[in-house]
Amino acid sequence: MSTKKKLAEILASKGLSINFQSGGVAPPEMIDREINKKPTPRADKLRNIYYDTLSSANTEFPYWYTRKWNELEGEVTVVRRAESLKCAFSHLTPVIFPGEKLVMQKASYYRGSFPMPWLSEGFFVAKEDELYKDALERGSASSDELSKFGTGGGNVTESFGNVVSIAGKFGMRKEEIPILVKLAKMWVGKSVDDVGHKYEQMVPEYKMKENIMRTLICMFDSGFTLPQGREVINYYYPLQYGFDELKKMAEDCKSKVAGRADGDGLVGMDRLYFYEAVRIIIEGIQTWISNYAKEAKRLATTEKDSVQKSEYEEIADCLEWVAHHQPRTFREALQLSYIVHIGCLNEDAISGLSPGRLGQVLYPWFEQDMKAGKITENEVLELLELHRVKMTCIDCFASMGVVGGVLSGNTFNNLSIGGLTKDGLSATNPLEMLIVEAGITCATPQPTLSLLYDEKLPEEFLLKCIECDKTGTGYPAWMNNQGGIQFIMEQYGPEGMTISEARSFAIGGCLETSPCSWKELTLNGKKYSIPGGSGQPTSVGVHFIANPKVLELVLTNGKDHRTGIQVYPPHNHKLDTYEDLWYTFKMYYEMTCDCLTTTNNIQHDIWRRHNMSVFSSMLKPDCLDKGHHIGHLGYRYNGTYNIESCGTSNMTNSLVALKKLVYEDKKYTLDEMTTAILHNFGFENAEKIGSYSLADQVKLPNGDNYDDLYGDCLLAPKYGNDDPYADSILKEYEDWFCEMCHNYESLYAKPLYACQISVSTHGAQGRATLASADGRLAGTTYADGSMSAYPGTDKNGPYALFNSATVWDHTKSQNSQLNLKVHPSAINGIEGSKKLLELTRAYMRKGGFHIQYNIVDSKMLKDAQQTPETYRDLMVRVAGFTQYWCEIGKPIQDEVIARTEYEGVM
Amino acid sequence: MNTKGLLFDIQSYSVHDGPGCRTLFFLSGCPLHCDWCANPESWKLSQKVMFASSKCKHSKGCTRCKSSCPYGAINFCDDELIINWNLCRKCTTFECTKACFYEALKLCGKYYSVDDLLKIMDRDRQYWGENGGITFSGGEPFIQKEFLLETLKKCKERYIHTAIETTAYVDTSSFLEVMNYIDFAFIDVKHMDRDQHKKKTGVYNDLIFENIKALKSSNWKGRLILRMPVIKDFNDTHENIKKIVTFMETLDLFEINILPFHRMGDSKWTQLGYDYLYKDTEPTSMYTLEHIQSIFLDHDIACYIGHETLF
Repeated sequence: MSTKKKLAEILASKGLSINFQSGGVAPPEMIDREINKKPTPRADKLRNIYYDTLSSANTEFPYWYTRKWNELEGEVTVVRRAESLKCAFSHLTPVIFPGEKLVMQKASYYRGSFPMPWLSEGFFVAKEDELYKDALERGSASSDELSKFGTGGGNVTESFGNVVSIAGKFGMRKEEIPILVKLAKMWVGKSVDDVGHKYEQMVPEYKMKENIMRTLICMFDSGFTLPQGREVINYYYPLQYGFDELKKMAEDCKSKVAGRADGDGLVGMDRLYFYEAVRIIIEGIQTWISNYAKEAKRLATTEKDSVQKSEYEEIADCLEWVAHHQPRTFREALQLSYIVHIGCLNEDAISGLSPGRLGQVLYPWFEQDMKAGKITENEVLELLELHRVKMTCIDCFASMGVVGGVLSGNTFNNLSIGGLTKDGLSATNPLEMLIVEAGITCATPQPTLSLLYDEKLPEEFLLKCIECDKTGTGYPAWMNNQGGIQFIMEQYGPEGMTISEARSFAIGGCLETSPCSWKELTLNGKKYSIPGGSGQPTSVGVHFIANPKVLELVLTNGKDHRTGIQVYPPHNHKLDTYEDLWYTFKMYYEMTCDCLTTTNNIQHDIWRRHNMSVFSSMLKPDCLDKGHHIGHLGYRYNGTYNIESCGTSNMTNSLVALKKLVYEDKKYTLDEMTTAILHNFGFENAEKIGSYSLADQVKLPNGDNYDDLYGDCLLAPKYGNDDPYADSILKEYEDWFCEMCHNYESLYAKPLYACQISVSTHGAQGRATLASADGRLAGTTYADGSMSAYPGTDKNGPYALFNSATVWDHTKSQNSQLNLKVHPSAINGIEGSKKLLELTRAYMRKGGFHIQYNIVDSKMLKDAQQTPETYRDLMVRVAGFTQYWCEIGKPIQDEVIARTEYEGVM
Repeated sequence: MNTKGLLFDIQSYSVHDGPGCRTLFFLSGCPLHCDWCANPESWKLSQKVMFASSKCKHSKGCTRCKSSCPYGAINFCDDELIINWNLCRKCTTFECTKACFYEALKLCGKYYSVDDLLKIMDRDRQYWGENGGITFSGGEPFIQKEFLLETLKKCKERYIHTAIETTAYVDTSSFLEVMNYIDFAFIDVKHMDRDQHKKKTGVYNDLIFENIKALKSSNWKGRLILRMPVIKDFNDTHENIKKIVTFMETLDLFEINILPFHRMGDSKWTQLGYDYLYKDTEPTSMYTLEHIQSIFLDHDIACYIGHETLF
């Protein structure tokens, strides 16, 4: 008899009934799952190839795109772009790797991508090249200088042999470099970057904007770096109709609109060109798929191994079908959704293209195949594992400042699970259980999982998600479904959002709440409502304002002492009351938002004129109905532009320290405080120490002058302790910030809103920030996210932190972010799982929007910093995403170590 | 009503010290001084300095503590901070802990009013979930009986589930009075032999057993689980385990939680300037634990190892 059973028997005989399964029936096999699970051999083999593969780029796509573009001078732009894309897609060399079931990738390498010089041509040219120097003259190059990539893993951070390192991450064959440079030069003066730059300079505050970028108060421009993404894709149309049918619909629509304005004198006539572009891009995608089908057939004819041979034949059969028709099986539906996904990613530079609620989108095929006995759960699991490997192989080609400093190399293909149906019932299903299972058995950074937590979700599903968190991968992150719905209603109500439609929302990017809609899908006569993205990209507009840095410049009268640049006009305020300090902070902040909004609006306006998406546009409601692409407000929801902040906790703590020490206790004058900050409280520069963690900083030999002041700064009240003194300052900030963002208008004439995630910018922006009044030293990393406490400052445990974090209304912001480390001993076994669920649920009930967990030993992380090669598969949760340890930069590594090190057993 | 209690720690989201998620209050003061103790800072009912060398930034250039000490108890030697503990233990003002930014020198122990604790409970109870509550631990919570009792009465008024981890080394009437307000108890049984018990804990075990008996024969409605830290060559003998079994059978006690010895207390002994006798002792092996568990199970006594108590 097992010990457990014996124990239960003894207790029962004594009349003590222990509710082993309170809150529902827990899966009996849960105990075993404490052990790390392994992927299927097929997925394991393909994932191992990934581990040994470097990020590679080539020029095939840009070559064919540019060639066609140049040929078609004088063509209507949307058609010219569709033809160029079609030409490029049609010429991509198909490569299929042995053992694959899901096939195709962005470029011909396993982990391949390519630059898009039509967006921005300067940054990927080698340093000595004139073009690069030209790029350096511009403010945006600063983020490259301060962003550091991890040096292990698949990043090509240095050139070797015949491989040249580009943008600090990608390797390219040496012989392709001249082609790249030649292609790049063809786009000089024509790229979105260059044309946008020409016009953004016409904004009167342009000089300030440039200085804001150069001093890293803002992290990057969005118009030419990652113009799309942080949104939810929509697979509906290809899944419902198949490409042949869609092409026919485009033709029919052309006949209907040709020559007719239909009451719209401005862009009514443009509908013809859009439908024509849709027809063209579909042909391009179909050719691309067919080329892979041909390649599979070719491989089948030469393959000796009979199993592999039949697998190639299956692939060919699958691709031939999905190139034209609605998928018949789960496998075909998954393959098609993946093709559509990378098709979008090849069309534009995109990070954070989320598959959305994929388990609900693909459920019709899963349900019918399972019922018909066409597929088993194990076969589905294997396919989902292969999907994970494929998604992890996706690389995003942008400049190093963007890819390293902001994204840590991550591509944020965030898959949402849970949430509610159109009718307000639990939306989860058995396929989502398998999606979570695949996340456990085949742990990879992509797709990361986001659980839309709702009280209506079944306990078994929630415990499954907890189990997945316990593997240490950091996913799923937990999002408050009701909070998300409220935000969606508030922001998109004016565009016609209803409650039932709001229930379709999902997370785009790392945690950007994104508007979606329901579409009716018919499969073999049965009808289903499936959710899918229906809004423009989010996290475009004002990207990452370094809050502590703005406060720093208030103290220095608008001058950045790190670079010597006078960024803002001197305010010359006396700052003799806290109210004046706070007023001046808001004034500088609003100036920042204003000039970044206008300049970015211009960049995005150029993008929508010259580089509008055709493929992404045709996928999303209601472009095909309206006959308009994204740039002409074809999407159902267009109020998606936002203002992102970074370093909220450090800013809050700094304001608190200034209020207390300078204005209330009057222990120090503001000048004394500013002098101490300029002198880094008597400490050595973090750059020299080579660590960006507060714990490692060293005092200068004669650095004792500021000791008392520094000590008082450290001991001042801190956010995260349920201390009303500190928390009221956070609340005042949040109430102002969330409202203030609405004062700015995107190019689509919609109000901006607040977005509070740091991604990896708390590393780079921390490096550019002097010491702060909270006792943070110069150059060290900020606290991540917006609701995470600064490492070591939350001394009263998680419940106090939760109270502090929820003093303001999270539904006023697109998101908020809280990272928590929980000691593994607290979550052992089923009982532990339930307790972690209780903790999570309690935060959600308090109105917290997001929480995620990091379960890892800091000793291991430190060792991994020394010997990255022995930790190839170690993953950590950073701000809103999971990434391989060896592929993230040192400032963020230091922050993650500090975060875990400071916290004791909870 | 103005009773104050001295606590050396408070932990939120504590998950092994009673049912559900709990808030754990560690009260200072203990009548037992077990050689293997993991919380030696709890022994004396007074505030004290603890020094965590791993947090000390002297090697990074900090020297603030030295001049703050009125007794000259702090010195530096080869980049290391050395404390003269005999001088240090006379201190009642703890200036060094105010001078240290980094909590390397830390004041252990803080006075709380009953209301202070109630505020913390109000903060935390929204997060406990349905089964949670508070647990008093220590030290020995009974050392501060008045404070404990007053707090417990308030808890009951507020429908808060209460648990205690105790040595039960307290006069029987006080013990029973307090237990009236307790829903769940862990009582430690370190050894069945009174001389052995005295040797390693400093006190005889008679009172402890009397109290357990008294509790069982009272009309107390709570749940009682005995606890035994498994200490090598002390209480892990077959003979001792058999005696516990007999004791439990006599009283119809049917649950015991055996705790593997661990060395996590080691650094605390060092931080207080003491030597730890058990610093080289290996953690209890799973083999030993399972063997002991099987003896109990054979006698139909539910025996839980470590964190596996079924709540």
